[in-house]
Amino acid sequence: VRSIPRWLSVAAALWQLLPTVSVAQATRDVVDATGHAVKIPAQVNRIADPWHANNAMVLMLGGADKIVATTVQAQRQPWLRRLYPRMDQVPAAFNAAGDLNIETLIGARPDVILMAYDGTLPKWSAAVEAYHVPIVMMPNTSLAGLKETARITGEVLGASEAHIATDYVRYLDENIRRVTDVTGKLDRAQRPKVLHTASAGILTVDGRGTVIDDWIRVAGGTNAADVNGNGRPVTMEQIAAWDPDVIIVGTAPNQQNRKAILDDPRWRQIKAVKNGQVFVNPSGAYLWDRHSAEAALQVLWAAKTLHPDLFKALDIKRETIQFYDKYFHYSLTDAEYHSILTATPP
Amino acid sequence: VTLRRALLMVAIPLAVLFLSLFVGRYFVAPADVARILLRFLSPGERTWPAASETIVLQIRLPRALLAFIVGGGLSMSGVAYQGMFRNPLVSPDILGVSAASGFGAALALLLSRSEVQLQLMAFGFGIIGVSLTYLLARAYRSTPMLMLVLSGVIVAAFFSALLSGAKYIADPDSKLPAITYWLLGSLNGASLQSLKLAAAPIVLGGLGLVLVRWRLNLLAMGEDDARALGVRTEWLKAALIVFTTLITAASVSVCGIVGWVGLVIPHVARIWVGPDHRILMPAACSIGATYLLLIDDVARSVSVSEIPLGILTALIGAPFFAYLLRRTRTVWQ
Repeated sequence: VRSIPRWLSVAAALWQLLPTVSVAQATRDVVDATGHAVKIPAQVNRIADPWHANNAMVLMLGGADKIVATTVQAQRQPWLRRLYPRMDQVPAAFNAAGDLNIETLIGARPDVILMAYDGTLPKWSAAVEAYHVPIVMMPNTSLAGLKETARITGEVLGASEAHIATDYVRYLDENIRRVTDVTGKLDRAQRPKVLHTASAGILTVDGRGTVIDDWIRVAGGTNAADVNGNGRPVTMEQIAAWDPDVIIVGTAPNQQNRKAILDDPRWRQIKAVKNGQVFVNPSGAYLWDRHSAEAALQVLWAAKTLHPDLFKALDIKRETIQFYDKYFHYSLTDAEYHSILTATPP
Repeated sequence: VTLRRALLMVAIPLAVLFLSLFVGRYFVAPADVARILLRFLSPGERTWPAASETIVLQIRLPRALLAFIVGGGLSMSGVAYQGMFRNPLVSPDILGVSAASGFGAALALLLSRSEVQLQLMAFGFGIIGVSLTYLLARAYRSTPMLMLVLSGVIVAAFFSALLSGAKYIADPDSKLPAITYWLLGSLNGASLQSLKLAAAPIVLGGLGLVLVRWRLNLLAMGEDDARALGVRTEWLKAALIVFTTLITAASVSVCGIVGWVGLVIPHVARIWVGPDHRILMPAACSIGATYLLLIDDVARSVSVSEIPLGILTALIGAPFFAYLLRRTRTVWQ
């Protein structure tokens, strides 16, 4: 009796595997920032996160072990790696320019992709949809959008993450309220003009319609940069015309960029420079000033920086240590706190 | 050369340079601008705000002077190469200097170097790039034009790839935009310090080109003819490459890659004064300086955001050149 041909047994074995792949999984709907209900698996175990800032958010919500594909940027954020060493081993399917390696991504078998939404879909969305991987889009241009992002991220990840997200949004709201209770009473004249620079080698600033514009307002200032969007190039003379009262330096290496401003004779007559009001923005799991979970600390830090007299009782160090302890389960030493506040690598 | 033409060549760019100091987003009373400038000549009482003085002397003056020398220098480089290669489509970056300088600058941005270091790295890489091209083209103690052009293509391709590599790994939130804006060209970084660093090579290269400009007439007849007339063509070519590279590398190092000027201004100058390099060289310098000054006045004062030079030089320059081309077709026939 001839044995069954080998190829047939292999085929039979494969056939048996098929139903487990093709059987319809239980799904649920998540309404994302585009307003559409996105169908995702009921139980999400593997996520791809091509949004640098959101990786820290996922970590904070307790879902970092589910990240199976990330970005080069998130991998390199020094404090994110310190808080979550596995970040190093997660394949970076997305490079710094936002391009996708589709094979790495599909090979990572994500259940869901989480992505930032500013009105346009990412250029790779069509390519990914061909593989039936749902993309959940989340808003990224305001503090309200940040809360929405936390909520949606939690909802996608699961019940325990959603619970932490609710708690976090409450905490963020509470911090905003603590600050606006004081700054809400300020009139126009009492609100310093704040310039937030995003430059490394060339002069760029952050304008209206950004999360930066939001926290400046919450913290009791007005955005000096009368332009729309993040990282807009402006002339030295335009900055002199705005004549900001405070300058916040927001791009690594922040300390070096701050020094470049202080040393440059062209900046010398700017009010902020004359009055010693040039500050470095803190940077941790992500840049505090951007669309970061640490925006909850940013509003406190910015308020204290802009109005030290009004927020004498506010202890940024205590708040920071508590935050990292509660949400990242990491107890900061004095030196580590200092590293985050001065935006220097740990 | 008529006296009137020579006077125009000097007077127009200087007048535009002077008037540019009155233009900008920050309001400085015109009378104050004049007084601040006069103080150079006769020190007197200061009656204007300190901020105005910073604007005029630290921001507008260095920027205008840089536009002046970069515009003039790039145009002269274009004249030199178009004459040397006997080809009207040649621009100053044919030997790979822009790509190499651009990579040097991108590398400096990537490594978060200071502005001075950025300038030095861009300049240094420009020199390295052209040296590579020259060595590559060198064969049997001569450097045939075709070999130079091909070597330039190779070196430019190589450094463009490195540049793309630098952009590929750059942080998209901070460094990638900086590199991108930088490559589009901008005089936004102009300061007294950057002016000091860039002025020496540009002025040196420019003087060199002015000194050898009459030999360029001979070289433009063809290398063999020039040699028959007693020109040591290898030396002349080497000298032209050195002068042009000094200018272009220094320009790129201080304001990024400003396209179009070095390609088109020589043609505009040719329409004005004809093909004789003795007069063409200074004419191109004068027109180029004026042109870049005017373009930069637009770039820095029309909108709240800075407009990259690379966009404006072509956007304003292309229709103007098209107009000239249609009007004076005879020159090319």
